[in-house]
Order: sequence, then C-alpha cells, then structure tokens
Amino acid sequence: MTVKQHMTSRGVQATRLLGLVLLAYTFFMTFTVPLGPGLEDVRVNRKEITNEGGVYELEVVGHGTHFATSSPKVFLRRGEHIVNATAIKSLDDTHLKCRVRLPEFVPAASFDVFVNGAGDGTISYANGFFAEGLEVLSKARIRSDREVLNHLAEEDLGFHFPFQPNIMESIRNLMLHVPMWFTMFLLMGISFAQSIRTLRLGGDEDRDLRAVAAVKVGLWFGALGLLTGSLWARFTWGAWWVDDPQLNGAFVTVMVYAGYLVLRGSVQDPKLRSRLSAVYNLFGFCLLVVLLMVLPRFTESLHPGKGGNPAFSSYDLDSALRAVFYPAVLGWMILGTWMYSLALKLERFRTRRAQVEGTRALVPLPVLLVTPASTSTFEDFFVASGKMPVVVGVAAIIVLGLGLWWVRAVRELRRLQSETPDVTSTPSNSAK
Amino acid sequence: MRETWFLFKHFWKADVRAKHGIAGLVLFAVSTVYAVYQVVRGRPEPETWNAMAWVILLFTAFNGVSRSLEEDRPEVLAYLRTAVQPLHFMLARTLHNVVVLSGLSCLVVAFMGLLLGWGNLDGARVGGFVAGMVLTAFALGTTLTLLALIAARAGAGFGLTAVLGLPLVLPTVLVSTTLGGELMRGVLVADTWHNFAFLGVLTLGSGVLGAVLFPYLWRAS
Repeated sequence: MTVKQHMTSRGVQATRLLGLVLLAYTFFMTFTVPLGPGLEDVRVNRKEITNEGGVYELEVVGHGTHFATSSPKVFLRRGEHIVNATAIKSLDDTHLKCRVRLPEFVPAASFDVFVNGAGDGTISYANGFFAEGLEVLSKARIRSDREVLNHLAEEDLGFHFPFQPNIMESIRNLMLHVPMWFTMFLLMGISFAQSIRTLRLGGDEDRDLRAVAAVKVGLWFGALGLLTGSLWARFTWGAWWVDDPQLNGAFVTVMVYAGYLVLRGSVQDPKLRSRLSAVYNLFGFCLLVVLLMVLPRFTESLHPGKGGNPAFSSYDLDSALRAVFYPAVLGWMILGTWMYSLALKLERFRTRRAQVEGTRALVPLPVLLVTPASTSTFEDFFVASGKMPVVVGVAAIIVLGLGLWWVRAVRELRRLQSETPDVTSTPSNSAK
Repeated sequence: MRETWFLFKHFWKADVRAKHGIAGLVLFAVSTVYAVYQVVRGRPEPETWNAMAWVILLFTAFNGVSRSLEEDRPEVLAYLRTAVQPLHFMLARTLHNVVVLSGLSCLVVAFMGLLLGWGNLDGARVGGFVAGMVLTAFALGTTLTLLALIAARAGAGFGLTAVLGLPLVLPTVLVSTTLGGELMRGVLVADTWHNFAFLGVLTLGSGVLGAVLFPYLWRAS
C-alpha cells in the first residue's frame, strides 16, 4: 500500500508513524518486560558416597525468584520417582542450599530439579541433577514420598515462564529475532505477488523492479535474522551454528534469493530478465515455504516451534510477552514495507539513470557484517547474569544492520537525485 | 499426450544420434566413481558410502540436465515454438531428463557396488536404496529441468544452473540422504516409506511448478 503513489499520502505517513511508535515500544519493553522466575543452575557442592547410597549437598541458583521469603521446597524427579530435599536453607532470594539422599541404586543418572514456593510457583531445571557415583539400575526403585505433591498448593503447581533454564532472559530476543523472519516472509510474499503480476503482463519492468526491491530488503532482514539467531544459538545451544533443519532451511532460503540476484546480474535484456527472474522467484518462494514451514516439522529440531517443540503455545509465551511480541511483529513489518518503498525508489532511480547513461547501474555490494571472533572475555561478558547481554547483542546487531541500510539507502538516493536532474518524480514506465 | 510422446522420442533420438551426449555422461559418472574408489581405496564407512553416492548422483544430474542437446539450436527452437505447445515441450523435456537421470543413478549405484562394496546394505535394502536413488533422480530431473532452461535462456549454461540449482535441490538431497542413512543403519525398507512419499511429493510439486511456469520462458521475446 505504501508504494502505489510516489508522494506519500497521509495514511501511509500515519502507518509509518505507528510503526515507529510500535518499534519504540518494542525496544523499551524488550528490555523491561518482567519475566517469571526460573532456575539458572544446580550445583553439587559436596557429595558423600557410602554403601548405603549417596548424600549430596546442592546449591540451587534461581533467577527472579524469592527464595528468602517463599519457604521453598525442593525435590528431584525422574519419571514417577520423587526425592525430597532436606535441610533447605535459603541464602538469599536467588540462592538456596539443600541436601538430598539417594539409595545405592538409582533408576536413572539424571533427575529434574523442581523448586516450589509461594509466589514463585513451581519452577524446574530439566536434568539439573546428575547422580554421580551411584549405580544405575533400570529396575531400581526409590521410595517416593507422595506427600510432597499433596502438600503443594494447586495454583502453585503451574509452571512459570520461562521454565527452560537455558533460555532465561534471552527469551527477550523473541521480540527482535523472530520478527526479522516474519518481515522477510512478508517481503518475499510481496515479491512473489509482484512476480506473478510480472508474468501475467508478459514481462513488466516496473513490477519486476518491485519484486527485486522487495527481495533486496527481505534479504537484508534474512541476513539479520541469521546473525541474531547465530548469536542467540551460541548462548543457548553453545555453538554459532548447529545442524538443524530450521537453520539449514533459513540459510538455504537466503542462498536461493542471493541466486535470484545472481540470475538478474547475468541477463542484459530487461524484458527477458524480468520474466526469467520472475519464474525463478516463484520457484524460490515455493521452496521457502517448503524449507521453512514444511520440512522442519517432519524432522527433529532444536529450534522452537518445530519438531514438536512448541513456540507460541501457552507453555512458552505468557500474556506479558504476547503483549510485546505481536505489536513488535507489526512494527517490524511496517518498517520492512517502508524500507521496501525506499528501495523501490532507489531501484527506479538506478534504472532511469542506467537508461539515461546507456549502461547498467552498478549495484553496490552489501557490506558484510562479521560476528566478532570468540574470545574468552567477550564470551564472559555475554554469558554473565542470566544472558541478558545476549539480548543487547542481538539488538545491537539489528540496529547496526538496519542503520547501515538506511544510511546507505538515503545517501544513495540523495546522490542519484542530485546527479540526475532530468529524472522527474515518477519514472515513465510506471503507468499504473 | 501424443505430442509429448512424440517430442520425447525426438529428444531421445537426438540424444542417441549425437552419442557424445549420453556417452559423456556415462563416462563422467563412471570416472567419478572410479576417482572416489582411488581416493578411498577399499571399503569406505557406510556413512561415507552413502554421502559419496548422493554427491556423485547430484553432480551427474547437474551435468545431465545442463548439457544442451543438438536440437537446441536457435533455428530448431524457433521452429518448435510455432509447432508445439510449451506444456508439451516442458513435459517431454522433463521426461527425457528423468529417464536419463534414472538410468545414470542406477549405473552409479551398480558401479559403486562393484568397486566400493555395498556398505551395510543387504538384500531388500539394496533394492530400497536403488529405488530411492531413482526417485531422487525423478525429483532432481523435474527441478533442474526448469532451472537449466532458465539458465539456457539467460545464455549462461552450467555455471548458472549450479548456482541457481544447488539451493533449490537441497530439500531433495536432505530427504534422500536421510533415506540412505536410515537404510545404512539397518532400518527396514517398509519403515522408510515417508521418505519415498516425500520424494514423490517433491517430484510432483516441482513438476507442476515447472509446467505452470515454463510457458513464460518459452516466448520468443
């Protein structure tokens, strides 16, 4: 809607203003929205193994918890086996110490750790405790104390967000990383629609320019999605890149659209170019749907939302996050379409100029953003304090990336406007 | 239908008459397998075997679709434009590529079995693997035919086909390598049916897309 007229209408301006307001809200809330309590770490401070079993002194580290005032209960669970912790002592709101006693034979080596307290509800750390030194015997039984469960208040049994310990504060990235992909889908969808119309009209050059403008902006968002995702992955999964269908799909999609630009570069005749690249674009969009929305659901995946991992269900998102996430998506999409209209303006200028000069305009190479090499101090900074700095890093990547785009686009536009005075406000071939 | 069949025979005859076309492909496949044999020396690990088989098939496929038939001279194409419908041309071309690639995939597997052994494959799993290879050839053939025609239209050829095609065939490669890996791990052929189904869907999807989109490439200007 933002591109029909060359002069921006009042409605478009209002929409853009709304987008900016939403983005300001997003950035503010990303860093300030309150998150539920969670467990950060479970450490074994001391262990004592005898013939009768093992006694472990545990230290539980919480995040946003109220151990000091909530008189928490701690228990371990594996399947139906439940072990109560004794001698629970809260050090402060986020640290507590306790002791667990296990028999000589345990049914499994690892246990989930649960902490229940008034106000915090039940929070857990999956496989947080490892019964080192004991023998695993699948037939082993632990005398389970059902009383713990009976004593827990019903309303406190609900799990609070985020209960996945490795995500913690970095869930705030949801408002930054995920909308990058949604915006890319939108832009590639615009490009898809424009390519269909290109073909319908038998190779329309202005529609083609729209398609390529959308792809270029979409690629920018895709690249930012990859970079931010890579940073996020480093601190939740421990690697810059993991072999995962969702990640591979995203990478290949970006490759496909890069191929689209290569194809355009190798055809000189504009009419033929518009048709060839439109055909390829349609093919590519179908692949995007297959790669990012179909294939990952059929295979196992670490990535949320795929392979049975929920992403937007009530388990993972509470209403406070929703209230930020949906406006954020809208805000980013408005920004994306705005950038698209600017990119379209640029493309039209370039084409006009190329026609005036009789040569094809050179497309400036995109500046490559390189994630810094991992050094220990760098990683320490990011890993510390509940992974909040990862959110800062992701935000910085996006702000830098999009800022770079805007500076470049505006500068290029100014240059083209000043250097080609004979170009009137609307290109001659856009007769719609 | 008859038109398609006629065009298919036309392509086939052109290919056979030229001889160097198909013979060159066979030579490429055989010599690649032989080069792998020379590098690996002996029986490779099952995973290596699997990866090698699919990579060789992939490269053979790229070579197979992006060579130009002798009948692709501009004069002949100009004549065909007036004589046949683009849909028939596309179907015949796809069929031709699929047949050639299926044959090549069987050849690759047979030659690999001869030189490098069969990895962990035995009995029915060999059949399953060959069926998977052939079905992959179907999917590659349908996907790459359109891309090769785009590249030919752009006047570029093999290099562009590879650049455009490699990302696009990735879903196919992912599914078929998964299939091969499962068979290597001893999964029953009957338990891998979903991979076959997925390859079928990919073939069908890219075939339909190609048939729908090709007419826009076909026009003279």
